Amino acid sequence: MLEKVLFLLCLSSSVLAQQFCTPGASEGYKVRLSIKSALGDEAYAWNENEMFLFRATLAFAMRSQYNGKEFQVSDIIVCDETPRVSFWFVVKSPTSSQLVDKEDVERAVRQYRNRINGAFLLTDTYLEFIGIPPTLAAPVNPGTPPWLIVFGVVMGAVVAGIIVLAVSTVVQKKRKKNQEAEDEENEEETRVKTVENVTYENTCGVYNKSFSDDERLTRM
Amino acid sequence: MEKGARPNWDNPMQFLLACVSYAVGLGNVWRFPYLCQMHGGGGFLIPYLLMLVLEGVPLFYMELAIGQKMRLGSIGAWTAISPYLGGVGLASVVTSLYLCLYYNIINAWSFWYLFNSFQSVLPWAECPVNSNRTGFIEECEKATPTQYFFYRETLDISPSIEENGGIQTNQALCLVLAWVMSYLFVVRGVKSTGKVVYFTATFPYVVLFIYLIRGVTLHGAVNGIKYMFTPKMEELAKPTTWINAATQIFFSLGLGFGSLIAFASYNQYNNNFEHQAIIVSLINSGTSIFASIVTFAIYGFKATFNYEGCLERTRLLLLNTFSLAEDSVTMANVFEWIEKLNTTYPQQFAELADKLETCDLEVELDTAVEGTGLAFIVYSEAIKNMPLSQLWSVLYFFMLLLLGMGSMLGNITAIITPLQDFKMFSRMSTELFNGIVCLFCLLFALAFTTKAGNYWFTIFNDYGATFSLLFIALIEVISVSYIYGIKRFEKDIEDMLGHRPHWYWKIMWAVVSPLLIIAIFIFYIVNYIMGGTPTYQAWNKELGKTVVTEYPIFGQVFIGLLMVSSISCVPLTALYVYCRKRKHGHQRRQRTVSTVSAQ
Repeated sequence: MLEKVLFLLCLSSSVLAQQFCTPGASEGYKVRLSIKSALGDEAYAWNENEMFLFRATLAFAMRSQYNGKEFQVSDIIVCDETPRVSFWFVVKSPTSSQLVDKEDVERAVRQYRNRINGAFLLTDTYLEFIGIPPTLAAPVNPGTPPWLIVFGVVMGAVVAGIIVLAVSTVVQKKRKKNQEAEDEENEEETRVKTVENVTYENTCGVYNKSFSDDERLTRM
Repeated sequence: MEKGARPNWDNPMQFLLACVSYAVGLGNVWRFPYLCQMHGGGGFLIPYLLMLVLEGVPLFYMELAIGQKMRLGSIGAWTAISPYLGGVGLASVVTSLYLCLYYNIINAWSFWYLFNSFQSVLPWAECPVNSNRTGFIEECEKATPTQYFFYRETLDISPSIEENGGIQTNQALCLVLAWVMSYLFVVRGVKSTGKVVYFTATFPYVVLFIYLIRGVTLHGAVNGIKYMFTPKMEELAKPTTWINAATQIFFSLGLGFGSLIAFASYNQYNNNFEHQAIIVSLINSGTSIFASIVTFAIYGFKATFNYEGCLERTRLLLLNTFSLAEDSVTMANVFEWIEKLNTTYPQQFAELADKLETCDLEVELDTAVEGTGLAFIVYSEAIKNMPLSQLWSVLYFFMLLLLGMGSMLGNITAIITPLQDFKMFSRMSTELFNGIVCLFCLLFALAFTTKAGNYWFTIFNDYGATFSLLFIALIEVISVSYIYGIKRFEKDIEDMLGHRPHWYWKIMWAVVSPLLIIAIFIFYIVNYIMGGTPTYQAWNKELGKTVVTEYPIFGQVFIGLLMVSSISCVPLTALYVYCRKRKHGHQRRQRTVSTVSAQ
């Protein structure tokens, strides 16, 4: 007698529970898996065992999030499975036959999203919980923006080039000035020498340097 | 080195490469493919090549001849032709100044994109995450990541030209680098420029060739190339096609800026510029065609990528709405499924109607873009989808940089050479003078790095040079043919080259080119008047796209000033010279009178 009553109770509670799960349920979420798009040739077929894994993973997420509440696989109720591989689920509290609030479910799912994804070898794009936005990776903020580093290198090279050119111009100018000063001295000497040569020696066959140097000194 | 001797190119090859480097610029990459696409693909080559022969090469030849003969910059050369025409040279200098001011901003952007390519993920490949990490930034979602990167992270553009905002440090830094590098290239005048052009003229071809190979092997490139080469002959009947071909040849060769005169003035007297003129013009046009093959291959890839993305999104939409098994709808049978579902579930399908996009490859290929939009948005979008995108990005922006820098060399030389002909500036050392010019341009160009800077850039780009160049070129060809005289010009050329120019050239100079330029000129004026208030594309943050906005009053006044300021140099200088001659004439007459009376 007792067994019959218990059996009836169980049946009715599961039926009751099943009633809670409807597409568009207020406390439920729709899940969509795109296994073939994600894994291509290595896609596995969706079957009862995979569904069991899903329910178990979700129960794990709910347990870990709400320490103390011992969620069972049977507390995750699934309905409206489609060939797309999408379905609705609701979570029933382990202690009462009340459904767990939508926000609590969402919090648990967001916290353990990567564990759930990992169980199915999928990512946020391929295992979608419609209505729960994925938490995107935080942007990487390096200390110095990378473009500044390359900029510094190029700018340094160009400025170095300009300085080298400027210095070489100045050095060339100094060298020319020294060269000119020397030439002037040489010219004076040769002029004196040639004059001397003319007065003291024969006047023909003297190589007069002053004329050959003329061109360098002529200003235009 | 004597102070008075004019510096020379080390060899004729340097001069040739300098002309190639100057003429082959960004316009070959981003304007010609656009025109090709707008005017019926392969068919556009007919008016283009015709205009090259009728207008491009003769004017190019003429400018080189003037420069090599007079051995002075544009102001001095035109004053030598006729004292009243010095204003033409001055107008060239003013136009080149405007060009220098805004052109280096493009090089600054090329630097910015180049430096940003050295990252593991290209910053324009994905949208940045928003503050609470639930999704992407809204502006980026509405537009595309490449557009967001250009308008927001590069320019930080304001919604209209009236809102000015401050100077953007990242752009300002890149602009300073661009100017410092330009100074490094021109610091010693032709001695330094001559060495740089070996690289800036040849390396872009290496990159273009690499890109050609990469481009044609991309998935879907064939679609683009097929699209380009299917000529639409009916476009040839439209006059705008011919006008655009003429204008493109004109601006692509860089006529009227005075750069060619400046470059040629450093030549040896007997340099064979006739061959060089033909070679450079052919290389320039050849590069345009080559670049457009590459561009169309990239277009084809991008269009196919977008088309297949559209198909994929449609497929997912169908799968999710009708909960069909994943492998039932593939990209190949999307359209069949749409038909099937439309008939079996008409009501549900109707609800989908606004989310369903129409995927059409032709439409994707038809989106023609030109200018900075093509170079920085469309190309970077295509690059981010290529495997090893960082490498391709670096190569591409480096090529853009070289093309831009090569043209800048010509622009800066066009300002420096005529000014150095004046005694007042020739006493300064070349390095100091070039430095002052570069610094001056840099300080002014900082205005383009403000938040509204891009809008001012567009004003300069659209109105700064186009109108004045046509005017200058018209005056040039008429004065050489009729004021200086074709006979005198012939003799000068015979003096330099050793033979008279062929009668073909003489007919072009005297008759055909002036008529062509007058036709383009009239067309421009008519277009400007009939176009109503000039408008620009302002970036709208909320919509995530550009909207057509009218220029405010001060903008229109500024446009008018820009156009008038360079053109007015011609009559004003003529007037000034006339007044001075009258005054001198008076003084001389007075003196002769007094000496006569003294006798």
